[in-house]
Amino acid sequence: MTREAATLDVPLVELVDRLLNRGVVLTGELTISVAGVDLIYLGLSVVLSSVDTIRAAGAEV
Amino acid sequence: MRLLLRAIVSAEDAGVAADRGLVAVSATAVTALASAWDREGAATEAELLDHHRVIQSVFEQVPCLPARFGSTFADEAALRARLVQREADLAAQLSRLGHRCELAITCAWRDKGASAPIAIVPAASGRAYLERGVARTRTDRERERRAEEIVVRLLGELAVEPAFIRHRTCPRPAVAVSMSALVTRDQIDEINSRLERLGGQLPDVTTVVQGPWAPYTFAVSE
Repeated sequence: MTREAATLDVPLVELVDRLLNRGVVLTGELTISVAGVDLIYLGLSVVLSSVDTIRAAGAEV
Repeated sequence: MRLLLRAIVSAEDAGVAADRGLVAVSATAVTALASAWDREGAATEAELLDHHRVIQSVFEQVPCLPARFGSTFADEAALRARLVQREADLAAQLSRLGHRCELAITCAWRDKGASAPIAIVPAASGRAYLERGVARTRTDRERERRAEEIVVRLLGELAVEPAFIRHRTCPRPAVAVSMSALVTRDQIDEINSRLERLGGQLPDVTTVVQGPWAPYTFAVSE
């Protein structure tokens, strides 16, 4: 195993994916800006598209 | 004071809030740890990563369930009311998951072409357009098949109960496999050794192991 990333963004996106898409939810409503992309959502389930949104904005993921 | 939920811990561990500047809101069996969140507008990437830092700080000291970023409450009363509603489920999850760690295992394609953006170039003919589409579909299928092979190898090396594994193949162009394993701390060194050995046998991907993290992937919302 090589402990370096293929790109530095791969490990970061894996973490961001967990922070935004997983974990306990009690309730929530928040607007998040990540990597310069405004992610506006009305319910947390909509955040499922967040990583793809980051990629579309130009991050190498 | 508006609050941003960070993590759920056992009520008897509520004391971890004090030296981290967190607010502890308790029900009978569980306590919610939260931070003041009294600003308007978008959160930033730095705040998102700080959420992880706070959770890890708690997780290093006591068992906890990490909260998905973005759960905000008008005040302590609102958080307590929701916590009481969910208390039985949260206590059960905390008992089942709180002592375990998540390892994030990512196999990224070494071939840089895997993550290259698709060039939008007009085809010379309808036939050329279709042939290009067929070639791309074939490549995608070959990658998916290879990713499934890698999953089998990973599962063999991990030797972790299936209920404690989640994975996705080809979730993004650069990534062959994204896997989460729920393990105990005393398993980590052995698993890292096995994955290091396996990584040397997988020339087409770079294998990255991150963690131990709090069990993000396995803490579910009912």
